[in-house]
Amino acid sequence: MKITDIKKSFDRFSLHIENLETTTGKIHGIIGPNGCGKTTIMKIMAGLIKPDSGDVDYENLSSREFTMVFRKPYLLHDTVIHNLIYPLKIRRINPDNELVEHYLEIAGLQDYRNQYALGLSGGEQQKLSLIRALIFLPKLIFMDEGFSNMDIEGVAFFEDYILNMQKTKPMTWVIISHQLSNIKRLCDYVYFMHDGKIEAHGEPAEILQDPENVNLKRYLHYM
Amino acid sequence: MFEMLDTEILGIIALTLRMTLLSSAISSVIGIPLGLWLDSAKFPGKKLVVTISRTLMASPPVVVGLVVYLLLMRNGPLGFMRLLFTFEAMVIAQVLLLIPIICGIVYTASQRNSERIQTFAITMGANKRQTQILLIKELGNEIFFAVITGFGRAMSEVGAIMIVGGNIRHHTRAMTTTITLLRNRGEINQAIFLGIILMIIAFGVQIIADFLRKRERRTDENY
Ligand SMILES: Nc1ncnc2c1ncn2[C@@H]1O[C@H](COP(=O)(O)OP(=O)(O)OP(=O)(O)O)[C@@H](O)[C@H]1O
Ligand SMILES: [Mg+2]
Repeated sequence: MKITDIKKSFDRFSLHIENLETTTGKIHGIIGPNGCGKTTIMKIMAGLIKPDSGDVDYENLSSREFTMVFRKPYLLHDTVIHNLIYPLKIRRINPDNELVEHYLEIAGLQDYRNQYALGLSGGEQQKLSLIRALIFLPKLIFMDEGFSNMDIEGVAFFEDYILNMQKTKPMTWVIISHQLSNIKRLCDYVYFMHDGKIEAHGEPAEILQDPENVNLKRYLHYM
Repeated sequence: MFEMLDTEILGIIALTLRMTLLSSAISSVIGIPLGLWLDSAKFPGKKLVVTISRTLMASPPVVVGLVVYLLLMRNGPLGFMRLLFTFEAMVIAQVLLLIPIICGIVYTASQRNSERIQTFAITMGANKRQTQILLIKELGNEIFFAVITGFGRAMSEVGAIMIVGGNIRHHTRAMTTTITLLRNRGEINQAIFLGIILMIIAFGVQIIADFLRKRERRTDENY
C-alpha cells in the first residue's frame, strides 16, 4: 500500500507525510520520539482515522486482509480462546483445533484458554492480541508497540517466529517500536519521524549507524 | 405471618410481577436501541436531546402519572381508548418512566466504549452487522444492568400507577399501592409483610446487579 501527501492536524500537532510505500513481504519500522506522530500515521494507514487531506491507496488489498495490533489491545469480554478465534468466526472459518493449539502454544497461553481474557497480565494480553492478528493470516499487519509489555524471552520468541514466517509465507509488516533491538532484528526498512514528518529513512544498518540527521542522532544518543 | 399469604395478596404479587416484567420488557425493547442509536447518531440538537433524556431519567413518577392521566382521561386526547384505571394504563405509565432510564444507561455505556469496540471491529475486518452484534455483546453487562435497574424502578414505583391505575381491588392493585392503602387503613402488619416481600425481590435483583458490576471491574490490570 502507499500513502501520499497525508496531512492531519490536531490542536497542538500537525503531521505531514509526503510519501510512504510498503513493499510486499517486507518489514517496515517507524521510530521516533514520543508524540512525533507514529501512532497517528499508522492509524491513518490502517484506515482507523481519516487524514485531513492526502491519499491512502490499498491497491489490491481488501479491508479484511490487514489488521492493527495495539500496545493496549482491546480484548473481548470473553475467554482467551474466544478472543483468539474471533477473526476466524467473523470470516466464517471453522477454527481448526490444531491451529488454535499452535497459536495458544506460541503465546504460552495453553493453560489460560478458558480464562476470562481481561484477567490476563499486560504482556499476556499483548501476546493474545498478536496471535489473534496472526491467526487469520492477514497480508499486512500494523503493530504499534505490540511487544512493549512482553518479557525478553517473549519478544525474542516472536521476533524469531516472525522472521521464520517471512521465509515461508511472508506478510507485510509495519512496526512501531521504541526498542531499537526489535527494529534492528526485524526491519528491512526504517522510517525516522520527528515532529510530524519523516526526516530519515533507509535500511537499518544504513541509517542507524552514524546518522546525518541531527534529530535522529539525538534520538539515538542514549543507545 | 404466612396466613397473610391469602389469595388476594398472591393476586397482588402476581399482578405486580406481570406489570413490572411487561413494562421493563417493553421499555428495554425501545430504550436499548434508542440508547445505542443516540450514541452513534449525529444530528443538530443532539446535546439538547441528551439533556432532556437525562432530566426525564430523574422525573418524579407522579408527574409521569399525571401526564398519562391527562392523556387517557375521558376528555383527554386518548380518552376514546378507555384505558384509564386499567392494567394497560399502568404499563404505559411505567414504560414512559423507564425508557429514559434504560436509554440513558445504555447511552452512557455506549458513549464510553463504542469507539474502542468499533476500532477493534475494523482492525478485525468485521462488517457493519458484525460490528453491531459485537457492540451489543460487549455492552452486554451494562445493557443487562440497565434492564435490571428499570425493573427495580418499576417494582418500587407507586406514584404513577396510583394515579393512572386507581388502585382498584382485584384489578389495578399492585404491591406498592396496596402498602399505601394498608397503611392508611392502619393495617400495619399486612403493610409490613408486603413491604418485606417487596424488599426480598428488590434484594434479589440487586444481588444480580452487583454480581454484574463486580465482573465488570475485573477488566484492567491497572485496578
Ligand atoms: N485525537 C487527538 N486529539 C488531539 N491531539 C492528538 C490526538 N491524537 C494524537 N494527538 C497528538 O498528536 C501527537 C502525536 O501523537 P501520536 O500518538 O501519533 O504520537 P506517537 O509518535 O505515537 O508517540 P508515542 O511514542 O508516545 O506513542 C501528540 O502530540 C498527541 O498529543
Ligand atoms: Mg504511539
